[in-house]
Order: sequence, then C-alpha cells, then structure tokens
Amino acid sequence: MFHWLEKRPFFFAVGVFLVIAFAGLIEILPNFAEAARPVEGLRPYTVLELAGKEIYKKDNCIACHSQLIRPFKAETDRYGQYSLSGEYAYDRPFLWGSKRTGPDLHRVGNYRTTEWHENHMLNPPAVVPGSIMPAYKHMFTNKADIETAYAEAVTVKNVFNTPYGDDIQPGKEAFEKHFKSVVLPEAQKIAADMKNQDVKDAVAKGEIPEIVAMIAYLNSLGDSRYAAKK
Amino acid sequence: MQSNAALEYDYSVAKLFVYTTIAFGFVGMLIGTLIASQLAFPELNYLFGEYGTFSRLRPLHTNVIIYGFTLSGIWAAFYYSAQRVLKVSMAESKFVMFLGKLHFVLYMIAAVSMVVTLLLGITANKEYAQMEWPLDLLIVVIWVVWGLAMFALIGIRREKALYISMWYYIACFLGVAMLYLFNNMEVPTYFTSGGLGSIMHSVSMYAGTNDALVQWWWGHNAVAFVFTVPIIALIYYFLPKESGQAVYSYKLSLLSFWGLMFVYLWAGSHHLLWSTVPDWMQTMGSIFSVVLILPSWGSAINMLLTMKGEWNQLTENPLIKFMVLASTFYMLSTLEGPIQAIKSVNAIAHFTDWIPGHVHDGVLGWVAFMIMAALFHMAPRMFKREIYSKKLIEAQFWIQTTAVVLYFTSMWIAGITQGMMWRAVDEYGNLMYSFIDTVTVLHPYYAIRALSGVLYLTGFVMFAYNMIKTMTSSREISEEPQFRSPMA
Amino acid sequence: MNALIGKALAFAAVLIVATIVVVKQMNIDLSDPINLLTMIGAIAIAVLSAGVSAKYISQMKTDTASGELAEENWDGIGEYKNELPAGWAYSFLGTIIWALWYWQFGYPVNAYSQIGEWNQETKEYNQKFEAMHKNADKATLQQMGESIYLVQCAPCHGTTGDGNNGQAQDFTKRMAKDQVLAVINNGQNQLGYPMGAMPPGMASGKDAEDIAAYVAGGMKGEQPAAFAACASCHGADGKGNGGMAPNIAEYDATLMNHTLQNGKKGIIGRMPAFKTTITPIQEKALTEYIQSLSN
Ligand code: HEC
Ligand code: HEC
Ligand code: HEC
Ligand code: HEM
Ligand code: HEM
Ligand SMILES: [Ca+2]
Ligand SMILES: [Ca+2]
Ligand SMILES: [Cu+2]
Repeated sequence: MFHWLEKRPFFFAVGVFLVIAFAGLIEILPNFAEAARPVEGLRPYTVLELAGKEIYKKDNCIACHSQLIRPFKAETDRYGQYSLSGEYAYDRPFLWGSKRTGPDLHRVGNYRTTEWHENHMLNPPAVVPGSIMPAYKHMFTNKADIETAYAEAVTVKNVFNTPYGDDIQPGKEAFEKHFKSVVLPEAQKIAADMKNQDVKDAVAKGEIPEIVAMIAYLNSLGDSRYAAKK
Repeated sequence: MQSNAALEYDYSVAKLFVYTTIAFGFVGMLIGTLIASQLAFPELNYLFGEYGTFSRLRPLHTNVIIYGFTLSGIWAAFYYSAQRVLKVSMAESKFVMFLGKLHFVLYMIAAVSMVVTLLLGITANKEYAQMEWPLDLLIVVIWVVWGLAMFALIGIRREKALYISMWYYIACFLGVAMLYLFNNMEVPTYFTSGGLGSIMHSVSMYAGTNDALVQWWWGHNAVAFVFTVPIIALIYYFLPKESGQAVYSYKLSLLSFWGLMFVYLWAGSHHLLWSTVPDWMQTMGSIFSVVLILPSWGSAINMLLTMKGEWNQLTENPLIKFMVLASTFYMLSTLEGPIQAIKSVNAIAHFTDWIPGHVHDGVLGWVAFMIMAALFHMAPRMFKREIYSKKLIEAQFWIQTTAVVLYFTSMWIAGITQGMMWRAVDEYGNLMYSFIDTVTVLHPYYAIRALSGVLYLTGFVMFAYNMIKTMTSSREISEEPQFRSPMA
Repeated sequence: MNALIGKALAFAAVLIVATIVVVKQMNIDLSDPINLLTMIGAIAIAVLSAGVSAKYISQMKTDTASGELAEENWDGIGEYKNELPAGWAYSFLGTIIWALWYWQFGYPVNAYSQIGEWNQETKEYNQKFEAMHKNADKATLQQMGESIYLVQCAPCHGTTGDGNNGQAQDFTKRMAKDQVLAVINNGQNQLGYPMGAMPPGMASGKDAEDIAAYVAGGMKGEQPAAFAACASCHGADGKGNGGMAPNIAEYDATLMNHTLQNGKKGIIGRMPAFKTTITPIQEKALTEYIQSLSN
C-alpha cells in the first residue's frame, strides 16, 4: 500500500492530511462549547483595562509572566486560588504565557497596588533588589491607544456577545462620549494615587499615558473583576 | 525518454534562499545573544529605548530565527534537492520558475514587514503566531505559492516514486497550512467598530481556554512541522548524499514517518498540563508524547545506522560531523521533550528555563546544524567552487558544539533548580523562597548561557564568512562532485 | 563497553551530579515525590540519550553497512531493505502497550481530576502542619514569620523591614511623625476597629506637633498634656484600650489582624488586604516577626 501511495502524490497528500487532522477533530473540537462560559459574576474588561491589556501585549510582558495559577499547594500559597477556565472567558487572546522569568500575574491585583506598580514599572530593582525586569520608562510618556481598545470592546460586544453596556457602540461619536464619561474618570482615579507629576498633568489635560492604562489592567487581575468578591 | 541524461538543475531560487538563510541567521542569533545577555546583565535592556527591552526583542528573536532563518534554510534545501530527487529541472517549466521567484519576493516582503511590526509592538501575542492579520493573509498566499510550486514540480517529475524527503516536505506543507489557518482566525477591529483605532489590530476568534487549545495545537506543531518534519527531509537527503551511503532501512523510514504523522498532533496539550483544559486532554497529550519518542528516534537511528562502518568519514569530513551530531541532539530533544511532558515532571519543568534549554538543544544542535551542513553541501554544487576552508568548518564545529553543551547544561540546571525552589517549603510548611530569590540564584547560569550565545554566534559568523568566500573567491571546480563536498 | 559509550555516560553522570549538588545547596528535599520523579526523569534523559546515541555512533567504527538494496535510486541515493532494529521495534511496541494501559487502567481518562488532587494534597498538608504549629513557641513563630514575611511582605516593606526607602511602612519603628500628624489632621476610618472612625482635628497646631513627636518617638519621655485627647480612645499608654482603637505604641496582634483584613491607605501609600492568603497561624507568626523588628 505504501509503495502505491509513494507513486501517487495526490493520494499520498490526502493520506497525510487525514492522519494529521484526525487528532484535532477528536481532541480539540468537542471541548469548544463548554470552555467558553464565564464564571459567575465575572465582568468584561473596561475600555481602560483593555487599553492596558494592549500595552501588556505590545510590550510583550508574556515573555516573562504567566497568568495561570496551577493547582499546586506551593502555587496557591504564592499567588492565590488556582485559575479557573471560566475566568478567561473574556481573554482574547489568552495570556497564560509559557515562561515565568518573573512571577505569575493572574491575581496580582489582589496583592499589589497602583502606588507599587508605579514605582516598580519605573525602576524594578529599586523596589525589588536584584530584579532583572526591564524598566518601562516609556510608558510614562507614551499615550495609550484608547480608541483601538474601544474598537476592541465594540467588536467583542457585537461579534461575540460580550456583555458590555449600551454605550459601547460603533463610531467616533460614541467613542468620544464613552471616553469622557467613563474612561477618563477611571484614569483620573488611578492618577490620583500616583506621584508622577507629568502623568497627573497629562490626565488632567484629558490624555492617558500608557502607565495609567497598564496599572488599570494590572489592578483588574484578580478579585476586582468580580462584582461579589471585591 | 531522456530520463538518464544528465540534467542541468536550476538553482536560481535556491540561491536566493541561501542568502537569506545566512542573513536572517546572523540577525536572529545576534538578537538571541543580546536577549540572553539581558537576563544576565539587565542594563543591556536600555540600548535602543523602548525597542530594546528583552520583552520587545524576544519575539523578534523567535520570529526571525524561525520564519527567517529556518524557513529560508528549508526552502533553499527544498528548491535544491526536490529537483534532484524528482529528477526534473525547474528550468523545464516557466510556471515553476515563476512560482519559485514569486515565492521568494512575497516572502521577503513578509519578512521585512514582520520585523518592522514586531519592533513596533504590533503583535497578536500568541507565541509563534505573533503576526497580525494583514501579515497572516500574506503568509497564506506565500504558503499557497510554495505548495503550487511543489506540486507543479512533482507533477512533471521523472522519478515516479517519491523519495523520503519529499514525504516530509509534503507533510510540512499540509501541517502548517491546516494549523496556521485555524490558529489565526481573528476579527480585525477596525471594520467592526465603524473605523475606529488601528487598522492592524484584531481579536482572536477564540477566548481563554479554547484559544489556548488552538494556540498550542499550532504551537506544538509549529515545532513539529517547522523544526522537525522538514529538517528530517533535509537529513534524509544530505546525509546519504554527502556520505554516499544508502539509507539504512526503508521499513524504518516508513514506520517513523507514518508514526510521527499520526502521533505528533495528539501531543499538543503537553503545553497545557495542569492548566484549565480538561484533565483527559492533558492525559492524552502526556501519553502521546511518550509514544512519540520512538517515531522520532526512528529517523535519527536510521541516519546513524546509514553511517555504519564509516568512521573515517566521520573523522575526516566536518559536514558528516555536523549531521551525525545533529541526529544525536535530535535524539536528546525528542527524549527530553517527552519526559518533560510527564505530568509530574512538567509540574517542575513548565515555566522554567529547562524548557528553553530543551528548545535550544533541538534548535541549535539539530535545526541549525542541519541547515548549515546543508548549505555547505549545496555551495560547491550551486556555485561551482570548492568550499573555502575546511579548517574553518572544523573550528566552527567545535566552537558551536561547546556552545550547545553550555546552553543546555546551564539551562537544565537553572530550570530544575528554579522549579524545585518554587515548590520548596520550609520546616513549618511555608514557602521557603521569595520569588526574587529564585531569580537571583540563576545569575551564573544566565551568564553561562550568554557566553554560549557569543560562542554560537561566533561560529555562525565563521560559517557566513566561509560561505561568502566560497561563493566569491574559492577555487572553481569543473565537475559536480558525486558525494563528498570538496573543500580546501 | 567501548570508550565512546563510556565517555558519553561519563558526561551524563557529570551533568546529573552537578544538578544534584546545585539543588542540594538550595536545601531542596529530593524525597518529595515530584522532585524525585523529576530527578529520575532527568537521569533517564541524560543516560539514555548519551548511551544510545553513543552506541550507534560507535557502530560506525565497529560495524559495516550491508543489506539488499531497493531498485529505486534518487539522485544517487539508495535504500537498503533492512529489517527494523529490534530494540527500536520492541520499545515502540512497549510504549504503545504502556500508553493503552495508562489510558485504560493507570489513570483512566475520566477518573482523574487535578483539582481533586489539589484538595487532597492541601488537606493532608494542613493536617500535618496544624499539629506541629499548635505548640509553636515564640522563637519558632518568629522564624516562621520571617519566611512568610520574605515571600509575602518583603516586596513592599523591604527584606529588612525598613519600608524600602519609604515605599511602605517602616517596621523598625511604630510610626513616623508625619504619619501621625496626617491622621490627626485628616482622621482615619479604614481598619475596622470597634471604635469606628477617628475624627479629624482631635488636636491642632503646636499640640498636634508635640503629640506627633511624642508618638513617633516611641511614646518615651514626658507625655504632652494634649495627649489626653488621644488617651480616651487609644489609652494613656497608647496601646489601644484593649483593642478598641489601634495600638499606636507597638505592632500588636490586633493591629496586624485589622491591617491584613482591611488593607490600609495612608500617606505612604496603599497596602492591599490579605484576607484569604494569610492563615491565622501565619498571621500570628508574622506578628511575632514584625514585633521583633522594632525591638
Ligand atoms: C526580563 C523579564 C521580565 C519582563 C520582560 C517583565 N518582567 Fe515583570 N518581573 C520580572 C521579574 C524577574 C519579576 C520579579 C522581581 C520583581 O518584582 O521585580 C517581575 C515582577 C513583576 C511584577 C510584580 C509581581 C509580584 O507578584 O510581585 C509585576 C506586576 C510585573 N513584573 C509586571 C510586568 C509587566 C506589566 C511587564 C511588561 C510591560 C513586565 N513585568 C515585564 C521579569 C520581567
Ligand atoms: C474617638 C476615638 C479616637 C480618638 C479621640 C483618637 N483616636 Fe486615633 N484612632 C481611632 C480609631 C478608631 C482609629 C482607627 C481608624 C481606622 O479604622 O483606620 C485610630 C487611628 C489612629 C492612628 C493610625 C494608626 C494606624 O496604625 O493606622 C493614629 C496614628 C492615631 N489614631 C493617633 C491618634 C492621636 C495622636 C490622637 C489624639 C490626637 C487620636 N488618635 C485620637 C480613634 C481615636
Ligand atoms: C503592595 C505593598 C504591600 C504589601 C505586599 C504589604 N504591605 Fe504592609 N503596608 C504597605 C504600605 C504602603 C503601608 C503603609 C500605609 C500607610 O500608612 O501609608 C503598609 C503598612 C503596613 C502595616 C502598618 C499598618 C498600620 O496601620 O500602621 C503593617 C502592620 C503591615 N503593612 C503589615 C504587612 C504584612 C504583615 C504584610 C505581608 C503579609 C504586608 N504588610 C504586605 C504596603 C504593603
Ligand atoms: C518527541 C518530541 C518532543 C516532545 C514530546 C516535546 C515536548 C515538549 C514539552 C513537554 C515542552 C514543554 C511545554 C511546557 O511545559 O512549557 C516542549 C517545549 C518546546 N519544545 Fe519540545 N518536544 C519534542 C521535540 C522537540 C524538538 C525536536 C524541538 C525543536 C527542534 C522542540 C522544540 C520545542 C519548543 C520550541 C518548545 C517551547 C514551546 C514554548 O514556547 O513553550 N521540541 N516540548
Ligand atoms: C546564538 C544562539 C542563540 C541564543 C543565545 C539564543 C537565546 C535565546 C534566549 C535567551 C531565549 C529566551 C529564553 C527565555 O525566555 O528565557 C530564546 C528563545 C528561543 N529561541 Fe533562541 N537563541 C539562539 C539561537 C536560536 C536558534 C538558532 C533558534 C531556532 C532555530 C532559536 C529558537 C528559539 C525559540 C523557539 C525560542 C522560544 C523558546 C520558548 O518560548 O520556550 N534560538 N533564545
Ligand atoms: Ca515559550
Ligand atoms: Ca496572526
Ligand atoms: Cu510540544
């Protein structure tokens, strides 16, 4: 049979394809419906948090940080409750990571604060002596791309039924309105806890430096995304 | 009719890919050495402002080295050897020639866009699938063009039966095509939001655990169908060809091939052990990873046995040295991987440096060794000149071998130590080490790895120099060598 | 055994020994089942890869190629029709049988749950240590506290407890003058003491300055008369009136408990609450340790 196949490239290719596709059909597809359900009480990310997530992606924190607490005692002691599938229902893409050069961050919002992140992102070894994490000074001056984050919220609302409120609508006007009434106040709250004067000034002017969105995202990792647990 | 007449093969496309293999290899390894050094000496994060941090550069290293260096190497070897084992010249078909050149041009556009977008931080953030949707589309086109070129060439072949290398090229084509498509299903946000924000941005079609499943179904098989399958195609051609030995066993080739095809895809969930994917899937990934040892070792053993009785070739021909050691490192990584896939071992190994250790005994010792050996073998035949310097290859071999050993031993020790420290509890049952303790302890190993990077890169520069000299100024040869490559 | 295999195995042995020496230096318990399995795995990788590949490579020296060639020939490459190497074939069969066994009998695919295992592990663990902790004396608690502190608290309070250049509370003393002043001026209501809120303006001007200096000085020397305003809630000794209001003289168990439960935002910054991560016994240990820092 194999000799026969080896002389017939078309059938050979079909054979290879069937053999490799087989596993996926059995293993991957059946789980799809089930794993997509959110755990109870979970809210989607706010637009500011989404903008932070974009910066997390852009600066590729995933290179060093995981967001997956495995069910081992040592790990739950260090990072808190093990991760549940339903907690990731609004994570597109998932950001579990595959390397922990730095610690897990899935619940970092529970045990670190705005003030702490501000110091740490500016100069990690000054906060944690011996840290090899790079300083992200540029986040204090670059402006966050809130509009793209908003576009993402609109998209996941309309395409994947992510439960956002009615004020998340396509178009420039809806965006401007949401920005003024929701995003900016949220940013101001974070900036109020920060020391950096340039950041405070920028937010007062209605601009949002990346660090503010980044911290909003980091603070959201953990209980603050549950209505009940806060 | 003219099946036995000597054919003039056309290497113009293969040559183009040879140049890019060298260029991307240098850039990718330079960045690899830089990021390795950054973990040992964090001050190096600030050389190029926001573009120079470890985190921004890491995907650049992986993408340039995988999609630049490795794919170029594979395609150089493909456009060279497919003609030969199919016994048909590309020059015989204008269509194939056109496809080959189109393939290269589109590929260059994609590669440059990839470098630029990743530097700017435009990324979908899935490992080995970082590129955003416009690039995905381009990549699909490139892949289709390559597939057309391959099947067109097969269509006009003179050699009826497909040689083993062709099996693996076909599998590489199909596997990547299927998985890439699934994993890159994403919705561009610009169009669904009434024209807001960046046009490059997209969201994944899948969320959370589902996304993880699809991603590692791809991720694992990016390893399988880029770092393994086509590299096996290379060794099945270049080792017998360079040594003049017949392949040890057809049966072994056959079982290894179909075994690999069947088992590989099941194993993807070993990247998700102890995660939130269902337990049964994890168990399957674990089991199939262990079964995978044998089909993997089958190819390596087949190649080592092909060299039975040829000790003198091993000692005298540095290209044989590269390929034999490549088989050995292939065996190492395909035993190490399965053992790391055992759930209890993965509890320690996952998230630690033991994984990059495993990765690099595969990629440095197997993938890059094979690609460099293949390029050396092709050079005299493509450029009609002997290889510029044998001494240089010998020196390169030992320097790079030392580098691989330093890389994987240092990361092996670092990873196991760190993994065990994370779990360690003191006599009172509380965690023994703070996270930062487990970071500072790694400093010496990170420094050794950085040194290994410098060595490997040095070896690569020697390789590049040797190749360039071979292309431009070494002694011309009048007749194509049958087997052993001539070298000065 | 020939020389090549010997060398390869020697290399494997060096790697294994080096690994064990390094982890032993970090006080790793290799009898822990996960650690043990990992170490066995590592040994298997090193020994098998080195040994088997060396065996085949040494065949290049000792053996010769032979066999019947297939008719086909590709670009000068021939193929022998040799049988499968027996060791390979039996190992392949063996792993397949093992896989079936594992899947059907070892860990039947639907019968195993990693969360179940976590529950079990945690339960056993807690039982083991509860007994031990019951009778822990002060010195033991203090030591235990230190290790918890280094993992959970040091990232903010610094490894020595000095507050890491003013980024968090400095445990080498109870409170700094400006902290006390700030509370006098602004009041405070976040720790959840029975007394509830402390209103702002209990003292002002020079009185406030004097009180703050006195409290920050560790409540030593002569007590300013104005402190009477404070004593009504915090007690004349500042120790909090039996837990009704915070102890402002020293770190006591009640203060620790209220801080860990509620977190705290002051002029230095915000501390998150540690409601679920710290167990009662760990809290006790932390208290002992933090008290030891200010003495
Ligand atoms: C080179 C690796 C590296 C990169 C890249 C990196 N980190 Fe870190 N990170 C570390 C290390 C190591 C630590 C532990 C030491 C410390 O706290 O600084 C850490 C700690 C942290 C912590 C504290 C977590 C805790 O539990 O204490 C946060 C939050 C964090 N990083 C966020 C980020 C973000 C956000 C990014 C990307 C913008 C990032 N890191 C990029 C290595 C890295
Ligand atoms: C009406 C009762 C009352 C009086 C009077 C009072 N306090 Fe307090 N004080 C409290 C309570 C209750 C708290 C805890 C508030 C909270 O929950 O955050 C507190 C908190 C404090 C704290 C912060 C302790 C910590 O660890 O955060 C300081 C310092 C303090 N008081 C000092 C003083 C001084 C000095 C005076 C006198 C000028 C004074 N208090 C008068 C009730 C009082
Ligand atoms: C994310 C940072 C952070 C972490 C982690 C942290 N703390 Fe704090 N802690 C602070 C800050 C900031 C303050 C000072 C608040 C202020 O008064 O401005 C503080 C204050 C305190 C105080 C003084 C409270 C008072 O009322 O005077 C105690 C006690 C304390 N921390 C104990 C702990 C212990 C025990 C842990 C570990 C389990 C811990 N902290 C972890 C940031 C932190
Ligand atoms: C039998 C074959 C193999 C098996 C079963 C296997 C198994 C594994 C396992 C279990 C991991 C670690 C997952 C984790 O815990 O994070 C891993 C990671 C990896 N392996 Fe292998 N491996 C094999 C062969 C190879 C080869 C030959 C290469 C390359 C030449 C390779 C490249 C990689 C890469 C790049 C990763 C890193 C993936 C990531 O980014 O997390 N593997 N492999
Ligand atoms: C000069 C030689 C090289 C050096 C110094 C080097 C260094 C590194 C470093 C430091 C990392 C990051 C590890 C971490 O995050 O902890 C890395 C990742 C990686 N490298 Fe290399 N590298 C080199 C060559 C190569 C080559 C030739 C390839 C492929 C052919 C390659 C493929 C990869 C892959 C796939 C990863 C990702 C691994 C993972 O995610 O687990 N590298 N490399
Ligand atoms: Ca990885
Ligand atoms: Ca993509
Ligand atoms: Cu894999």
